[in-house]
Amino acid sequence: MNPPSDLPPVSRRATLKSISSGFGYLAFAAMAHEQAQAETEAAPVNNPLAPKKPHFKARAKRVIFLSMRGAPSHLDTFDYKPQLKKDDGKPGKYARLRSNKLLGSPWSFARHGQSGLWVSELLPELAGHADDLCVLHGMHTDVPNHPQAQTQMHTGSFQFVRPSLGAWSLYGLGTENADLPGFVALNPPTGNAQQFGSAFLPAIYQGARFGSSQRRSGRRARGGGRSAVPNISNPRLNRDLQRRQLDFVQELNRGQLERDRYQPEIEGMIESYELAFRMQDELPELMDLADESQETLDLYGVNGRETDRFGRQCLLARRFSEAGVRFVELTHGNWDHHRNLTTDLPARCQEIDRPIAGLLTDLQRRDLLNDTLVIWAGEFGRTPHGQGGDGRDHNNKGYTTWMAGGGDKGGFRYGAADPHGYEAVEGKMHIHDWHATILHLLGLDHEQLTFRHAGRDFRLTDVHGQVASEILG
Amino acid sequence: MNIRLPLAVCMLTMMTAFGEEDASAVTAEGRQFFESKIRPVLAEFCYQCHSSEEKIRGGLVLNTREGMRHGGDSGSAVVPGELESSLLWKAVTWSDSELEMPPKQKLPANAIEDIRRWILMGAPDPRVVDAEPVLTEIDVEVGRDFWSFKNPVKPKLPTVRNRSWPTSKIDRFVLAKLESNRLKPSVSTGSEKLLRRVSIDLTGLLPSPKEIEEFVAAWKGDPSAAYRQKVDELLESKHFGERWGRHWLDVARFAESSGKDLNVTFPHAWRYRDYVIDAFNDDKPYDEFIREQIAGDLLPMKDDEDWQENLIATGFLAMGPKGLNERNPRQFAMDLVDEQIDATSQAILGLTIACARCHDHKFDPIPTVDYYAIAGIFQSSVTHFGTVRAGTNRRANNLLELPIADEEPVKSYSGREIAAIKTRLKEAEQSFAEAVQANRRQRVQQAMRQNGRANGSTVAPANPLNLLRLRSTVAQLRARLEGMDENGDAKSLVMGMQDRRRPVEANVLIRGEVDKPAQKVPRGFLQVLPHTHSATAPSRDESGRMEFAQWLTSKDNPLTARVMVNRIWQQLFGRGLVASANDFGATGQAPTHPELLDYLAIRFMEEDWSIKTLIRELVATRTYRQSSAFDRLAHTKDPDNALLWRMPPRRLDAEALRDNMLLVGGRLDRDRPQGSLVAEVGDAAYGRQLRPERLERAVEYRSVYLPRVRDALPESLDLFDAADPNRVSAIREITNVPGQALYLMNNPFVIAQGEALARRLFREAESAEERVSLAYAIVYGRSPSREERASAINYVRQFARAAREFRDRRSRRDTAFLAMATFSQSLLASAEFCYVN
Repeated sequence: MNPPSDLPPVSRRATLKSISSGFGYLAFAAMAHEQAQAETEAAPVNNPLAPKKPHFKARAKRVIFLSMRGAPSHLDTFDYKPQLKKDDGKPGKYARLRSNKLLGSPWSFARHGQSGLWVSELLPELAGHADDLCVLHGMHTDVPNHPQAQTQMHTGSFQFVRPSLGAWSLYGLGTENADLPGFVALNPPTGNAQQFGSAFLPAIYQGARFGSSQRRSGRRARGGGRSAVPNISNPRLNRDLQRRQLDFVQELNRGQLERDRYQPEIEGMIESYELAFRMQDELPELMDLADESQETLDLYGVNGRETDRFGRQCLLARRFSEAGVRFVELTHGNWDHHRNLTTDLPARCQEIDRPIAGLLTDLQRRDLLNDTLVIWAGEFGRTPHGQGGDGRDHNNKGYTTWMAGGGDKGGFRYGAADPHGYEAVEGKMHIHDWHATILHLLGLDHEQLTFRHAGRDFRLTDVHGQVASEILG
Repeated sequence: MNIRLPLAVCMLTMMTAFGEEDASAVTAEGRQFFESKIRPVLAEFCYQCHSSEEKIRGGLVLNTREGMRHGGDSGSAVVPGELESSLLWKAVTWSDSELEMPPKQKLPANAIEDIRRWILMGAPDPRVVDAEPVLTEIDVEVGRDFWSFKNPVKPKLPTVRNRSWPTSKIDRFVLAKLESNRLKPSVSTGSEKLLRRVSIDLTGLLPSPKEIEEFVAAWKGDPSAAYRQKVDELLESKHFGERWGRHWLDVARFAESSGKDLNVTFPHAWRYRDYVIDAFNDDKPYDEFIREQIAGDLLPMKDDEDWQENLIATGFLAMGPKGLNERNPRQFAMDLVDEQIDATSQAILGLTIACARCHDHKFDPIPTVDYYAIAGIFQSSVTHFGTVRAGTNRRANNLLELPIADEEPVKSYSGREIAAIKTRLKEAEQSFAEAVQANRRQRVQQAMRQNGRANGSTVAPANPLNLLRLRSTVAQLRARLEGMDENGDAKSLVMGMQDRRRPVEANVLIRGEVDKPAQKVPRGFLQVLPHTHSATAPSRDESGRMEFAQWLTSKDNPLTARVMVNRIWQQLFGRGLVASANDFGATGQAPTHPELLDYLAIRFMEEDWSIKTLIRELVATRTYRQSSAFDRLAHTKDPDNALLWRMPPRRLDAEALRDNMLLVGGRLDRDRPQGSLVAEVGDAAYGRQLRPERLERAVEYRSVYLPRVRDALPESLDLFDAADPNRVSAIREITNVPGQALYLMNNPFVIAQGEALARRLFREAESAEERVSLAYAIVYGRSPSREERASAINYVRQFARAAREFRDRRSRRDTAFLAMATFSQSLLASAEFCYVN
């Protein structure tokens, strides 16, 4: 063994010993990154997940991010383009080849609510919430390929491994329920850990995934109330005996950490054990929908043929948010409609329409919508010209996302794409701007929310990002 | 034996068969025939539903020559000279009950005869194609300036200040970078730790206490010799291939099911898995390994065994995820080829060529035409992936039969079982035929009613769902019969590649759309790579996979060797010299040690692409033998350890974690199982015939042999970040989430391994002290400190006491065992076990 000549100073050993369970272990990361820590003074040194004060008054306290993988067509959902309809069948000037004809939306749009926001007939229930939606029509991103764009949407970078939006939010604000992870990803796609990851931020900030892949709790969990959480209880030991065992495991882990001197992964592991232990009590209850009324289940479309799966997720999202989880992310897939637009897009819309409308209604009546930011977004949009007669291609130059609640303006349209919906021309919002705005709603200044790594301060927005102050309510 | 026999081919999928001749080459006679006999019939009876000016039913356009050849959702409408392959012929003769056109009334007999003659005369079609050629805006010449497209050059050895540190040239490169950044390498690690590290790295298994003892003793005599000998031993172990083969299987997106919507099994995929493991154990030269996987079926072979192996190797191309419910065969065929291009280019070249399917690559100098030059090679091949054409699986095809039958068939049916299958098949076929008849009668009647010629009676409509179900049943039973020989033994089938009878040139597809063909491009390779000009072009009568494989593995290819040495480096040092192992292009990351990368690539090729030689050299370096001790200063400067100021601590991968849990309790079955759980199940759809529980069956062999069904990896693998076989995996992600902690605390498998270890401790040691020491030796490969031992003994006592209080009816022995079992499990759940330092 080497002499421990380069031990971090003072009381680390003492700190280690003083912690028996619960939060506080990551004190360590703090010491290894004093500089970074110094800049985020709001953070109490001993508890990386404790609620932290935002940089300024937050409009939103928590986030529910509805991630639509595959890139839904903005032109057939939220971005009404009458000119495109008029020019239907004309050669598309955007495609390099003139053989791709413009494709007006096959669906009709109508104005809804007092705001008169345009929503397509594919989303009738969500249209009822028109006055809650803040629709961003000027979105654009860098790459028209799914994997890169999805990664960029989540982390700001499609090239490098960077912490995800959820991890940054948690790092910035901590969480309000010590017995649950602060960042929860429900039904995430397999793989793609990076999109929920913490990269160089401490491991405790990464998203805990539930119901991953379609296997265990996912696809076929119909009917009954309880969603399975694998391994949630010990078949042999009661709580007291298990605590004894866990104390011993943690003693071993701390021993290893002392020998290694600095090992963020082991710190993460220690934290993760404590969290897991506490989750055993809270999580089964939280994921059990048995105490929800029939009316509520219906509101979300739980047990509905098309809506059950996403309805459950939306309902769980509300339950997690209510329980104090800072960032909940839901995934809904199969939006990549190169073909069969006229059959597949309505099917996808039907799967999400009621669940999301139900979520907004439910948050509203529980008085949670004011400070819960609901975000709906695909990784990019789709082209105004058709593809193969009944489809649309990828379009990263202009697309639409929306937010609701959380202190943004409801019934509001911000930005615009050109009359055919191809390229953002007004109120342009790059992913960096979008991230900056989301952090702003959470009371975080994207330029101040930094973490020191490899000798420099990193931000979610790199050196970019403009808050779209027009949308603030 | 040196002839290539045609292999069992029951049914070929329809694929692209554009006419080879030009529209202008149509003879006057042909033109005359078309204009007078064919065009009028098409216009009168077909255009209404199949014309780009009107409707495009079923994706079929008959008013253009391209559309006609290209066909619609079901395949090529017209294949010149081949009646049987021309769907148009099938349709107008109403010979296939599911494809009868025009649907309401057959064409007049003379029109049908004209169509027959026309197809047989070569389907002359004077209509002109008007697609504009797709041009590129990429200047390939300029693109060649990028570092990874230039050939590696033998670098000069850098000078270093600390001349006593390096023990190899590799160390010189590493040290020079460290010194220029004012960093120092770590001290060398001790013998026990080094043994643990190298054992895990080379075989994935921990050394036993006895091995440790022997190694430490030998080390005291002559450390270098002891280490060298140990490394040789590990490289020769059969477990080496299981560990390193698995690394390649990550890259090869190996899986035993189709994934996507249907997710049906590939019951024969395991052969490829075993092939890969054996290749690593045999130290098959990497260039040969690649050639076999791309073009094994075309390589010259010594004997049947050789042939067998080469065929299995081509499973690499057949293994990808597939959307088998795709209605449009052309779309499916193109997606298949695209996946092959994607997998091949990322795995072997570290490039994302598939990005050029719809338009020129946005970042790398890869024009769309290059993509289609390679696509032509794969389009000229047939991919045999099997599965059963049943339910919504519209794209099944046949498998290949191996020249050597399995000694032990994967499955056997008794005479009675076979008879039962045959009876059921006969019944199903009959019901199906009846349902089809009913369906047809009803359709004709409906048409007559619409035309006002209806008579009184009506036929009850056939239930379309019933039809579908019957067809599936028939297909499944037939497949089962076809999959066995006359004795009822499962045939030895394999997924793999064959050449098409005649190669085709691919049409560039405008924006990648299968119904928008532009110009044809000759088969070829990537223009940006410098050796492309000197490479042998694809031959006229073969697919060109052979030449493609040679081009890939040419020593002048600047990428292949670099990409592979980088992968190997990454496995040993936790991070590649190029951190983006699958992307050596512009969106990837630049190498941290470009000279070292070149040095290794050249050396790899000089040493005849020997993977074992490379690994032996790498683990012998002083760099590899460094301690993983933390250094504050170095960490501040280089937190990612990109410059290798220490060996990074690494978490055990999912397989190693499970294998070693089994190992420490003495439960690991070190032998390779025959086939796999998926092979036992046979053809099945995940979630339907194949229940998820079936894949979680408790087995004790190594994790590399666990079933790999897409989107349904076993929990022990999935939770700990095993590679997702839906994509070419560059590196294992490392997550650290409470789900893993719950697994280690509560999962019955982990609990059982703790118990197995406890039993072993009781068996092999007498006192509490001895048991704790033994446990530490087995699990951590070291002795406990005095405090550790005391604390462990204390834990066991206290736990037993507490357990007695809660379970008062339990005997003292029970609680003592429970205490020891939870102690053992605690070791398995601890960081020291889960990480390699």
